[in-house]
Order: sequence, then C-alpha cells, then structure tokens
Amino acid sequence: MGMMRGDEYRDSLRRLKPEIYYLAEKIASVADHPAFMPHVNAAALTYDMARAPEFEELLTTTSHLDGKKINFFTHIHHSTHDLIRKVKALRALGQHTASCFARCVGHDAMNAIFSITYDIDQKNGTDYHPRFINLLREVQAKDLFLSGAMTDAKGDRRLSPSQQPDPDQYVHVVEKKKDGIVVRGAKTHITGAVNAHGHLVMPTTAMKEADTDFAVCFYVPVDAPGVIHVFGRQTNDDRKCSGCLIDQGNAEFGIVGGEALLVFEDVFVPWEHVFMCGEHDFAFELVERFATAHRQNYGGCKAGLSDVLIGAIYGLNETQGTAGAAHIKDKIVEMVHLAETLYCCSIACSCQGYQLPAGNFIADPLLANVTKLNVTRNVYEIARLAQDMAGGMLATLPSEADWRDSVVGKYVDKYLKTSAEVPAETRMRLLRLIEGMTCGTALVESMHGAGSPQAQKIMIMRRANLEHKKRLARNLAKIGE
Amino acid sequence: MALKYCGSCNPLINLSQIGHDLLTAIEKEDDLVFVSPESTDINTLVILCGCARACGNLIETRARAKRSIVVAGETIDMTPVAEINISGTLTEKLRKVK
Repeated sequence: MGMMRGDEYRDSLRRLKPEIYYLAEKIASVADHPAFMPHVNAAALTYDMARAPEFEELLTTTSHLDGKKINFFTHIHHSTHDLIRKVKALRALGQHTASCFARCVGHDAMNAIFSITYDIDQKNGTDYHPRFINLLREVQAKDLFLSGAMTDAKGDRRLSPSQQPDPDQYVHVVEKKKDGIVVRGAKTHITGAVNAHGHLVMPTTAMKEADTDFAVCFYVPVDAPGVIHVFGRQTNDDRKCSGCLIDQGNAEFGIVGGEALLVFEDVFVPWEHVFMCGEHDFAFELVERFATAHRQNYGGCKAGLSDVLIGAIYGLNETQGTAGAAHIKDKIVEMVHLAETLYCCSIACSCQGYQLPAGNFIADPLLANVTKLNVTRNVYEIARLAQDMAGGMLATLPSEADWRDSVVGKYVDKYLKTSAEVPAETRMRLLRLIEGMTCGTALVESMHGAGSPQAQKIMIMRRANLEHKKRLARNLAKIGE
Repeated sequence: MALKYCGSCNPLINLSQIGHDLLTAIEKEDDLVFVSPESTDINTLVILCGCARACGNLIETRARAKRSIVVAGETIDMTPVAEINISGTLTEKLRKVK
C-alpha cells in the first residue's frame, strides 16, 4: 500500500459497489460515467500531483503516527507551517483544476475529529480517540479519500433535532447494539461523496440533552449497506454527456466538486467506527472546529481558481484586441486585488493558528470565518468583472456542434474571429471556460460551501470580543473617570 | 547533482519548464550525473523556488548536498537572472563546479 497514483485511485473506485443514482439511473461506475468523470479526475490530481517532483513539498508529508511518507490530505496538522502549507497546496490544486478537487473536506473532518475525540476521552474516559487513530492509520496507509458529511436536512428550521416531527431530518441513532449502532437520516450537498472511499459523518449544530441521539459522529465505507447517494444536478451538466468538449468549458475537471444527497437508511456502524455517541455537549465544538478548518481553505482554492479566471479573461481580451485598454487593465487589477485579498485571509488565519489539547493545530477561528465570508463576496465580484470584460458573447455563443456544422459552421467561425492571427476556436474555448467558472453552480458554491454567510457571521459575533472593544472606547472617551 | 522543487504553490516563473530544460542540458554533459534529491551523495543541489519566499531553501534541504544553488523567482543565489536565462545560467554554474 502507500500513496496512490491517480489511475490507482480510479481503479480503487471501480472495486467499490456504492449505491449511486443520477437522473433516476443507478450508476455502475463513477470512474467511467461522463457525469462523474470530471470530479474523479479532479480528485485523481490530488494523487498525481503528490507524486510529481514539482509539488511533492506541498502535497506530501510525514505521518506523525508511523513516520512514513503520506499524501498531505491524510495528515493531521502539527504546526502553523502545516496550516499554511494546506492553503498553498489548495491554491496550487485550484490553479491546475479550476474546479473543486473535494479532498479537503474529509481532511478537515479528520483534523476536527482527531481533536474532539481526544477531548471527549479526557472528560469522560471513553476510547473514541484510539478508535479514530486506528481509522487514521488505515486512511494514511491506503491513501483513502474520505468525504466530510455535516449538513443535515434540518426539516423545520424553527425546531431543534429532537423537536422535529420527523426525527430523520437529522442523522440519529435508532438502535444501539452490542457490536455497534444503527443510524438513520441524511446529509445534504456532500462534496465528493460519490467518488470518495468513505464518509466521516458529524453533527451539524449545537445539541442539548434532549438531542442526545443526534449527537453522533462515525465513519462508513461508501458502499456500506443502506448508504444511498443521489447525485445533484449542476448548471449545464447535460453538456457532459453530449460529447461536446468545448461547450463544457473545463471538460477535464468540470465545475465544483460534485455534490450528493447522502441517505442513511438504517445503516449499521460498528463501534470501532463510532467517534461520538450521545456526547451532546461536544457537538458544537466539533462543528466549530470542522467549520474553522474548512473555512480556512477558501482563500487558497478560490485564489487558485481566480488565477485561472484572470488568465482566461486577460487572454480573451488579448484575442479581442482590448487587453491594452485602460479600463480592462483596471478591472484585471481589481480581480487580482480581490483574489489576493482572499489568499491573505487564508494565510493570516493559518499563521494565527494554535495547538489543541490533542496536539494538532487549528487555524484562528475568527480569521477563518472572516476568510470564508469574504469569499461569499469577492468571488462574486471577481466573476462580475470577468463577465463584464467577456462581453455578451459569454451568454450567446453558438454551440460547438454549430461551429463544426457543414452548413453554418463557416458563418460561426467567420463571425467569431477577431484578429487574423487568432482562431475563432481560441475565443470559443476561453468563453466557455469563463462561462463555466462564473455562471451558475460554481458561484453558489462560493456562497454556501463550508457554510452560508450567516453561519460565518454567527461565529464572528461569538469571537468578536465586543467587551474588549467597548473598554477601549470607554478608556479613550474618558467615560466613568 | 540533484534538483529539488519548493512545492510550486504559485510560482512567478515556469518551474516545470526550467527543471525540464535543466535536466535536458545535464543529460548532454559527460561529467554531470543527475541523482535523486533523497540521495546521500549529492555534490550540488539545485533548489528551484517559484518566488522570493524560497520555501524550498531550508537548512535541512541544503544539508543534503556539499553545495547548493538556489533559484528564487528570477534570481539565482540572490542575483537577478531573467527567466529565459535561468536554465542556461544554472548549467554554466554546474559546469564550473563539477
């Protein structure tokens, strides 16, 4: 065993038999189905780049468990250097995929569960942490890709988990057995769920004593009985199955990570894979640690994606002869400024990271949430500027099929040409890439991935230290002297 | 000699191309042998870094070789060198120390 290559990862998926549905079809092999292949390709790059000398320093490290060389996505962070390196690795992968490669979610879940199991054991004398270490050894040895599944269906948002008329709206324990537990419920929009080897499942919110059955954290293999995946649609996803490669924009890696509704229909989980079962008082801390780790990421990967988008729009303007215009230069600079601001945020929250009792490191929670909240704004503005400079052709470009057509193809080609030395195909390819990156699902992912803006604002409010700010103001205003 | 990359997170120069050009040039040199950066017998280690931050320029990395040459963006050992001339300048330096 050891670090896998991309082709070995694809073969490993073919050996699994997960229950996956897409457009009412049961999928035989995600590694070989056109709707899933871009997402598989993006994840495969996390394996291949780790083996490339150019990226080895970013994407490999040494296991703190056995000293062996491992893929960075199976690593537990043991310094702020590790946290910074994660951000840099995500930027590099973003630059080379212009998409989501999905592996960071499970990585962040591993780091959160590593620490929370230690804390639970310290308080309650349980043995969750050694159980998790055993799973971690397997993940590192086999170079597994795990998804991180947090968001429940939630049902009526006014009600807590235990108050829901349908308890399945939150994943919960329905039976405790001698050898394990049985769980039911669902997790929504789970990135990489269909092309992972297994799922790390965590609670989604703070819990009270009445919610004890819902305070559950566990691991299940992707093809465990009762685990059902319903793959979500994405903008223009039918182009993936049309055979028109140019129209897809980014045919190799697609857009975003490929999300699924993940259903647990009375799934048995052996005790060795249970990492929280009823410890409701630790649920919120687990949520916050996972959210912090994941929100830390977004200035890394989104800066990488923005690098590609900036390159695409600048290249498009060169093909159109407008790259030298003052307003174009100004907008390009604005895009760079916005992207690098996001990167600054991710680097900053990593530098300000600190050690947890379990020994691993976490980014600064306040700054990590600020990072992600900025992503919900800056990425939209970056996309708006790209659409501004791309022109209306972004939305009206004829299809690849028409460009290749024997009757109308010559017209499409003629009227898409700009300067004599640039083929129309170049302009088409750049426009489609920009379309994929700025129209539809890709933007929504920036808004809601790793939690919606309000979730970040709640965390920011909790960490804002307003009393200290008030004291500063009162002192300088000489109030109460 | 051996070649070690910084990690290539956001390089200001085309590290892969420079590395490829350097290895191609080394293959034509009779007295220069390319070995793994993990080797314990490295005369000269070229550390290719994409920017001035030079993440690959670590004490423990340099300690693997008798001497090292550090590329950091458009510099070699802190002397400015245009990107197009980096692999050629590196080859010249390696010839002198072989």
